[in-house]
Amino acid sequence: MSTAAVATRVGRELNSICGAEHVTEAPAERILGCAPGVAVRPGSAQEIAAILRFANQNNLVVAPAGGLTQQEAGNAPSQIDILLYTSRLTETEHYDPADLTVGIGAGCTVAHLCHDISKDGLLFAPDPPLWERATIGGLLATGITGPRRHGYGALRDYCIGVRFVTGDSRIGKGGGRVVKNVAGYDMMKLLIGSWGTLAVITGASFKLFPYPRNSRTFVACFPNLSDAMAYRDRVLRSPLDPMCLELLSQQASALLTPGSPAAAFWSICVRGAGSDAVLARFRSELGSAVAHEMEDEKETAFWRKVADFPALARERDPDSLLMTIMAPLRDVRRVLDVTDEVAAASGFTVAAAGRVGHGNLFVSLSPTVGRQLTKTNYTKVMATLNEQLPRDASLTVLHCPPEARPDIPMLRTPTHAGSMRAVKHALDPKDILNRGRFSL
Amino acid sequence: MDLSLVISDLRKIAGNDAVLNRPEDLMLYEYDAGLRKSTPGAVVFPRDAQQVSQIMRVASAAKVPVVARGAGTGLSGGAICKVGGIVIAFSRMNRILEVDVENMCAVVQPGVVNLQLSEHVSHLGLYYAPDPSSQKACTIGGNVAENSGGPHTLLHGVTVNHVTGVEVVMPDGEIVQFGGKAAESHGYDMTGFFVGTEGTVGITTTVTVKLLRKPESVKTLLGIFESVDDAAQTVSAITAAGITPAALEMMDSWMLRAIEEYCHAGYPMDAGAALLIEVEGLREMVEEQAVAVSEVCLQKKAREVRVAKDEEERALLWKGRKTAFGAVGRVAPSYYTQDGVVPRSKIPGVLAHIGDVAKKHNLIIGNIFHAGDGNLHPLIMFDDRDKVQFAHVLEASEDILQYCIDVGGSITGEHGVGSEKRDMMTHLFTDEDLDVMSSLRNAFNSDGILNPEKLLPAPRMCREIKGPSRNPILAQEGM
Repeated sequence: MSTAAVATRVGRELNSICGAEHVTEAPAERILGCAPGVAVRPGSAQEIAAILRFANQNNLVVAPAGGLTQQEAGNAPSQIDILLYTSRLTETEHYDPADLTVGIGAGCTVAHLCHDISKDGLLFAPDPPLWERATIGGLLATGITGPRRHGYGALRDYCIGVRFVTGDSRIGKGGGRVVKNVAGYDMMKLLIGSWGTLAVITGASFKLFPYPRNSRTFVACFPNLSDAMAYRDRVLRSPLDPMCLELLSQQASALLTPGSPAAAFWSICVRGAGSDAVLARFRSELGSAVAHEMEDEKETAFWRKVADFPALARERDPDSLLMTIMAPLRDVRRVLDVTDEVAAASGFTVAAAGRVGHGNLFVSLSPTVGRQLTKTNYTKVMATLNEQLPRDASLTVLHCPPEARPDIPMLRTPTHAGSMRAVKHALDPKDILNRGRFSL
Repeated sequence: MDLSLVISDLRKIAGNDAVLNRPEDLMLYEYDAGLRKSTPGAVVFPRDAQQVSQIMRVASAAKVPVVARGAGTGLSGGAICKVGGIVIAFSRMNRILEVDVENMCAVVQPGVVNLQLSEHVSHLGLYYAPDPSSQKACTIGGNVAENSGGPHTLLHGVTVNHVTGVEVVMPDGEIVQFGGKAAESHGYDMTGFFVGTEGTVGITTTVTVKLLRKPESVKTLLGIFESVDDAAQTVSAITAAGITPAALEMMDSWMLRAIEEYCHAGYPMDAGAALLIEVEGLREMVEEQAVAVSEVCLQKKAREVRVAKDEEERALLWKGRKTAFGAVGRVAPSYYTQDGVVPRSKIPGVLAHIGDVAKKHNLIIGNIFHAGDGNLHPLIMFDDRDKVQFAHVLEASEDILQYCIDVGGSITGEHGVGSEKRDMMTHLFTDEDLDVMSSLRNAFNSDGILNPEKLLPAPRMCREIKGPSRNPILAQEGM
């Protein structure tokens, strides 16, 4: 059977499940160069289950999709038969401002949700890159958030419920809509950061937070990483409880705020919120290292850019190798030092930003200006990095030039691979979802 | 299965003095702080992960059920073994292996007592945040299995929010690592998944937990109200005012009297309800929040708001809260604690409902609970010699939990499902939801030897029509 014939048959089946108006044969989108056979926009979990049932029966590969903001992560898929968009799943399942909770469909964008709840003075804590496109489903599947992670916790800390369809087409849920709940297995934890390899997320519930009135950002600049990290430690040992505590390398500052004086330094950016008395205390604790302060629109725009750093780095240099690294607090310095040394030796320049109070970094390695790099440079830099990173450091590659991709390990984790494979097998035994994107 | 052969193997693995199988010794291990009893066949006390691994191999080969046990303080029957099974007791694996100040974490064996960890790191200005009421006795391993909470989880989250890595022994004896010292790890979050699996997926032998820096300032307030309803309204109002206290506990009039008579914490004997509220953090913020909390209480008709003047007064207020269960022991021969959760705004309704349920069944029900996160702990008093009354207790419990479910809540906020609530899981989850969870359990525990008949309902329940099931505890009591 030719590919075109399969697509047609798949298309017909999807038409019957979702209605022809929600099915596009041979869509224009490319996922890492791979042309999906059909794009479909199902309107319910039941339709998704029917699609996945059909995919299981016919050994078709399904790639779940939200706003396509992180589809460059991992290995290039060799085959995508069905590109499954969650864009029609935007219903508010529950919204309880008095309880500070919301339940929302996976296809809703983060910006839309944030805007909707801001009228009640509430904050949705996750601030992923490209929030206007990033969807709730994609946010959870990638586990990638932004600088507010420092003060509000990780997704795993405030996602209180999840609805999904497993790879083998079972409609399930975990958690619920209350802020404290230990009934049943914690499906939220399994699906956050699972990159669409276990289930298609259809909706989720979250804790919300009061929107901080009155915030201020303090930027402290340092000539080297060592001084910046010493300052981080000072902030962490202080009684301050900042919303954001971000490290920006010179290269990162140059990317985010071109031409600013900060681009010559390593910066530690601290965002505090509270009354004038609280902010005055921030000022006194942070001391004379603070070079300047930001507030109001300028501050909001700055943090939006910081959140977008991974996307901006990727956009600026398609030849960059972009990864997110998580490391124990003490190892952050070593991770950055090692990355810098290894990169320099292979002809790369590093731009780094991240939540250094939690060891959550984004690192972009771009070919140093004037250097022509080959596939081998990428392979070598990743291999050396993997050798030299501290034991508990883990990483996911978010972007990489196509020619280098096949030889680069996309995931590094301290977690037992056999157990992860057991989970994958339990939920998606035929490896229908995002086949080959990550090797466990 | 020949248990005597298994026991002989256990002695070879752990030593003669590390295995109990005389009936009088086993009696100590036949119960936890819940209602059910079941006598194990043997209790073994391993010293390290290798011994746990060998024990699991023996149990797997003989297909003998195994349950891990910390201090047995659990309230849902999680640490109770199937008759004739093996209890792995962790009292000899109770060492704090490492305190890593730079990484703000500690690596501990599962038998470490919760409070001991905080005491051990106190001189460094650090502490371990989850603080179950039983924290003087309960173990970190048990906390991990049940995903335990406590009053201060309102601000800081439950156990899973503080565990970054676990070493786990699988049913086949393999020792595996999930996560590590980093706050999060890439790859599937197996650590997060493992916490709260109630011993049905594997047995943890080492736990890496976050340590937090003690707050600069803490203020503890006692808001005293004429009525439960006023206090309940205040809970939502505090949240609505944009304040997230570190703890927000509520006690009704019955509990206030029982506690005051027991430990003289200075609680009012004639109030309708009281809120114990704690705010912590930066000094300036705490001062402002304490004022704001006071104002909200007074707006909501509090007759008085007391602020603890010093550490001694603060400790006394908390002593009352934390010894509440002891206080109840003086009043009734037995009590049954439930752990339902409702959305915060539904607290007034659920308390009214609990009052109706108490009247209907002619029971005394005291309420002392984590109001800030809607986590109820109705304490139902009874005399366990009175079988008819006992049946009413169970019916009343189910009724209360069903109400929690109906208003969008849950059957457990921090005690776990265990054996006591497993059949109510079908009221909260669909057959397919439970089927997904079962397939995950089976992926690791395919023979079902790890803590069988816990957390997930009996397989038949998944396929039968949903509705009130025959209560497993009544069945055990022959009713």
